Amino acid sequence: MSLQPVDFELLFGIAQWAIVFGSFVLLFLIVAMATSLPLYGAAGPGRVLAGMLRGFKEFASPSPRRVYAIASLTFKESIRKKALLVFVVFAVLFMFASWFMASPSDRPDMQVRNYVAFVFIAINMLVLPVVLLLSCWGLPEDIRIRSLHTVVTKPVRRNEVVLGRMLGFASVGTMILLIMSTVGFIWIQRQVSDNVELFCRVPVYAVAGPEGVKFLDRSGNPGTGVNVGDVIETRSFIEGGTRAAGIWTFPLDEQADTLKLESRFEAFRTFKGDMNRSIRVRYVLVNEEKSLKVPLPTFEVDEFGTNEMDVARKQTWTDEQTLEKKEVDIYDDLAVPSEDGRFGSLIVQVQCLDRAQYLGVSRGDFFIRLPDRSFTIGYIKAVIGVWLKVLIIVMSGVTASCFVKWPVATFLSFIVIIIGQVARGFLDKVLSGKQAGGGAAESVYRLLTHMNDTTALPANPLTTSIQLFDHALQHLLWMVKFIIPDLRSFGMSDWIARGFDVPWGGVMLPSIAITVGYFLPCVLLGYFSLSMRELEAK
Amino acid sequence: MSDEPVIQIRNLTKTYRDFWGRKKVQALNSLSLEVNKGEVFGLLGPNGSGKTTTMKLLLGLLFPTEGEISILGKPASDVSKNEKIGYLPEESYLYRFLNAEETLDFYGRLFDISAEERKQRTNELIEMVGLQHARRRQLKEYSKGMTRRIGLAQALINNPDLVLLDEPTSGLDPEGSQDMKRLIENLRDQGKTVVMCSHLLADVQDVCDRIAILYGGELKELGRVEDLLKEQHETQFVTSHLDDAAVDDIKAVLDKHGATLKTCGHPTSSLEDLFMKTVQRSKDRPGQRYIPAAESETADSGS
Repeated sequence: MSLQPVDFELLFGIAQWAIVFGSFVLLFLIVAMATSLPLYGAAGPGRVLAGMLRGFKEFASPSPRRVYAIASLTFKESIRKKALLVFVVFAVLFMFASWFMASPSDRPDMQVRNYVAFVFIAINMLVLPVVLLLSCWGLPEDIRIRSLHTVVTKPVRRNEVVLGRMLGFASVGTMILLIMSTVGFIWIQRQVSDNVELFCRVPVYAVAGPEGVKFLDRSGNPGTGVNVGDVIETRSFIEGGTRAAGIWTFPLDEQADTLKLESRFEAFRTFKGDMNRSIRVRYVLVNEEKSLKVPLPTFEVDEFGTNEMDVARKQTWTDEQTLEKKEVDIYDDLAVPSEDGRFGSLIVQVQCLDRAQYLGVSRGDFFIRLPDRSFTIGYIKAVIGVWLKVLIIVMSGVTASCFVKWPVATFLSFIVIIIGQVARGFLDKVLSGKQAGGGAAESVYRLLTHMNDTTALPANPLTTSIQLFDHALQHLLWMVKFIIPDLRSFGMSDWIARGFDVPWGGVMLPSIAITVGYFLPCVLLGYFSLSMRELEAK
Repeated sequence: MSDEPVIQIRNLTKTYRDFWGRKKVQALNSLSLEVNKGEVFGLLGPNGSGKTTTMKLLLGLLFPTEGEISILGKPASDVSKNEKIGYLPEESYLYRFLNAEETLDFYGRLFDISAEERKQRTNELIEMVGLQHARRRQLKEYSKGMTRRIGLAQALINNPDLVLLDEPTSGLDPEGSQDMKRLIENLRDQGKTVVMCSHLLADVQDVCDRIAILYGGELKELGRVEDLLKEQHETQFVTSHLDDAAVDDIKAVLDKHGATLKTCGHPTSSLEDLFMKTVQRSKDRPGQRYIPAAESETADSGS
């Protein structure tokens, strides 16, 4: 399956962040004021407001000197408490890994994929749990043995404690990550065979949003792809031998004499057909406004590999009415003016030519390939992906440990990471209503009544109540969706393992934005949790 | 000592509640007192009387249920007040993985103290608390007394105006206790205010100017130590040694004035005095040891 870039717009992301953050602050304020009424009477809301204003003022002026002092202490504490023992496990893994890994006779791309995947799985498995435990354990232990009392009885603000702890644990994680990734890089270079070239392909994907990839149905009218019941979540299918097509709109930011098109489509056969050849596919360069349609040479899909095609800038086009041949230029004639690319956008139709066979496609399956980049740069980007994950774990761990004990903080952070990384797709599906079988209560009802998840629920008061309950629960899930970070784009090593450079806009930018976006709420929550907490409470 | 109050506590009440808000313990009840600049103030009371709770409320480690606290002219919740406060907790809750130098350097960095000044103060304080020989050893290897000493050093790293000492002599040997008391007196001489809480009455009596006695979270006594201890209806003389005849004469004089002699005999020094003298003698004459009487006689007859 191809890698899928995330549709991400920074300005929209910032606006959404501001709305969610503002809503939570407002919600907190309302709850705090309501709680203060029975405690302090009419003066309560005023006290809450004054307290919050004082808190914000204090929060806004942390002392870098004290933050650095606490960060250094945290770093020293982690090192002296033997956090670096993790390197022993790392060393053992790398000493014997080559015994079980790919052999030089394997396909070059498979060798690279295996070695890169191994290095990053090892790094993730070793660094992330260590950082999770350290960041969830540090502050509660500090409170338990009351060392924190000797710190907060100095002129140290609570946000400085939170920031110092975060910075300290992040430094430990960064140091471990840097050492491991350097060793991993050297190991990969030494392991791959001499005939294997390490490089990163640079894809230009179709523009984000519904305009990026569209479909024509079998009559040539705008429609959707066909659902063949196979991986429909990612891919839609183009019916062969008809006027059905997939339409990709690529932004053109650079000009070159040759445009390299690369694809990795899935062939779905409804009958055996000619087994000596694969399904035939054709690209057509289109400019509807100028009524230009330039078909490129037909090719057979490599079902388990990639299809590469070099397209010259100058193409010969035959006018269907006059049969006159003309030379057209991709950038001057075929490109459609648009704001997506500096030189406009290129529209490419993909057609399947074999009747009754289908071609499975998705946005990430087809792209313009720019000149390759260095593997080292791609590797560094993938390490940055792990590093951003380390930062997210540190922030969530330290924040949680400000208001609960370390086992609960560890559990909470672990859940956040798991949902953010693994269950995020499921969450989106449930919230979009695409999950078959309905919500939680409806699923239980279906299980108990042995009802198929595609069968409509009978209309009766019980099922109505169940659906209402699920609807209410869905609002709660909606909140969860905005609290838990989406970590799917953080797995940048998948890109270089498959020989790709890590895209900036679709992968790196959202990951960085998510990490930065969580920083302020985490520190603020940690600060108020610690400030409102009696450290000596019995 | 001046009448300028450094700490003002008014109607301070602290109630510990459980998770559901139900009352668990009333640790303090309407406590009101003031501590003046330059005095050594003792908070006395049995275990659970509210001494440590008062100390923690002053430091902002606990929040009052009712009442007000002003400390160095600022509310207890204002962390900037801590610039001029030194605190020695009941147990020395320090970072056990640091050594003495690192500990003092770390706490010094939490104040606005330059690196050079930190280094100088670290050296001075380590010397003052007598830990030169263990300055590079991690605190986890320290004895309880050593930990208390480094705890005291960290409380003084910022040259504070107000020092809060929670059970300062706890865990210290008599010599250490003496040093601690001397140090408290030195702080008073420098014009600093010291608030200490303890249940070791002799320590408090030795160094405190004023005391407050708490019981069950309530203030029971407050005043100058001499005033509180003075027995107005009794008179005491201490003289050089008198023979029996002189004692009889004195008794006759007392009878004449209608007074009753309650005790007469040789006064005993305190165990602490005896201990200190013994230690001092041992330092002056190393190698000399106590030989029990029986052993001494055997040695004499053998020779």
